[in-house]
Amino acid sequence: MIETRNISKSFGGQQVLKNVTTAFQKGKTNLIIGRSGSGKTVLLKCILGLHEVDEGEIFYDGRDFTKMNEKSRKKLRQEIGMVFQGGALFDSLTVEENVQFPLDFFTTQTPKEKEERVNFCLEHVNISNANNLYPSEISGGMQKRVAIARAIALNPRYLFCDEPNSGLDPETATVIDKLIQEITKEFNITTIINTHDMNSVIEIGESVLFISNGEKCWEGTKDEILKTNNKTLNEFIFANKLYAKLKESS
Amino acid sequence: MKFLYNIGRYFAMLGKVFSKPEKTRLYIRQLFYEIESLGIDSVGIIIVLSLFVGGIMTIQYAYSMSNPIYPVELIGLGTRDTLLLEFSSTIMALIMAGKIGSNITSEIGSMKVTEQIDSLEIMGVNSASYLILPKIIAVVFIFPFLYVLSVFFGLIGGLITGPAVGVITMPDYISGIIWLFEPYYVTFSIIKSLFFGFIIASVPAYFGYYVQGGALEVGKASTKAVVNTNILILLTDLILTRLLLT
Ligand SMILES: Nc1ncnc2c1ncn2[C@@H]1O[C@H](COP(=O)(O)OP(=O)(O)O)[C@@H](O)[C@H]1O
Ligand SMILES: [Mg+2]
Repeated sequence: MIETRNISKSFGGQQVLKNVTTAFQKGKTNLIIGRSGSGKTVLLKCILGLHEVDEGEIFYDGRDFTKMNEKSRKKLRQEIGMVFQGGALFDSLTVEENVQFPLDFFTTQTPKEKEERVNFCLEHVNISNANNLYPSEISGGMQKRVAIARAIALNPRYLFCDEPNSGLDPETATVIDKLIQEITKEFNITTIINTHDMNSVIEIGESVLFISNGEKCWEGTKDEILKTNNKTLNEFIFANKLYAKLKESS
Repeated sequence: MKFLYNIGRYFAMLGKVFSKPEKTRLYIRQLFYEIESLGIDSVGIIIVLSLFVGGIMTIQYAYSMSNPIYPVELIGLGTRDTLLLEFSSTIMALIMAGKIGSNITSEIGSMKVTEQIDSLEIMGVNSASYLILPKIIAVVFIFPFLYVLSVFFGLIGGLITGPAVGVITMPDYISGIIWLFEPYYVTFSIIKSLFFGFIIASVPAYFGYYVQGGALEVGKASTKAVVNTNILILLTDLILTRLLLT
């Protein structure tokens, strides 16, 4: 479980996060939703320590991240996998080398063990016959999958995904969402997913945090979200006509 | 103000770059890769440019020394000393800043804007050190070799061109290039090339590492990196020449 308590963050006078207090459960897909520019990525990067918070505390299973020194943070980060918005695969390395990279850096496994682990991770995201291709040679959906494979290479306890299905067609997007959910269940990971896609909410929104202008505006599950009376949230959801119809019919 | 901020951040970055490597083996793998991609790949352009410039300088010296009061050896000597002192070190560094420097900025810059650098940091890898240190070592290491190569091919350029266009005979040219040879010029230029190598790797790396935005900004950063690298090379040249040669 990851908890944040009253975290705030400003960039040069512009306050991007305001007093966000929430918790993300283990073994569940925890979604952070909100408009573009509402502060989802900044919240994620604050939790990861890529941005230092101005105020507040962050706990990884009770361990106070904000008070940790750089060395302890580095150690903790080996328990974290991250899937970036664009995949962020290393473009000078092949698919296989990308997945192997964290193993090279942080384990003392033999080449054989590494190869097995790499293949295990790639099989989990349904990639085969692409081991020696470069990221530029595979499709966007495949890049996301390889990014997921790389993120789970070190058996993480925490998985972060920033807009994992942006730029993908709806069908592939659903496949990626489901894949992340399966992995979350199978390895009992605390997974946090940023998205502005209502489809993802309906598919895998086991726990949903809605932020608006950097503030927590609503929290609940995918079943609760269609019944909410929260005005800002409704404006966000029903910007999509389809969901407006769905609500009327329910 | 902005200037001071950049200087401070540049040195802070170097601090990160020169902290203890985590996995030496991976750094060495990276180092060989960089020596190949930044160094070996520059050999061709250095040879071509040096051949041309050596040839052109020989013709020009021959022209300006055509008065019989000048000993004919001055043509070879002039070509040699210009190559040794300035062309093969400084001018070559300016050209390499355009090639290697913009390459480094765009590589690191595009890694930055596509979050590959964040991705390294999340994994707990010191991204500045892992990406930049092998480049600095590679360029500093290969620069003296590129210098020697450039001098050699510059002299060859003169040797071919001078006699070919009929401004000097081959024996006159050769006796010129060994006439009054000052070995210290080589030492001096090799010292310079070490400094230039460091600047050419680290300054563009800085501009790439702190780029913000997208592909457009990476392009702009490359241009800025090359301009700043060139200015720093000339400034360093001025200082080192004053300190070491007078
Ligand atoms: N490094 C930064 N420096 C300054 N402002 C930033 C930075 N990162 C994000 N912001 C600002 O914070 C706000 C929230 O951005 P972000 O978290 O990326 O939104 P999103 O919800 O789309 O992920 C935006 O207004 C953005 O301009
Ligand atoms: Mg975002």
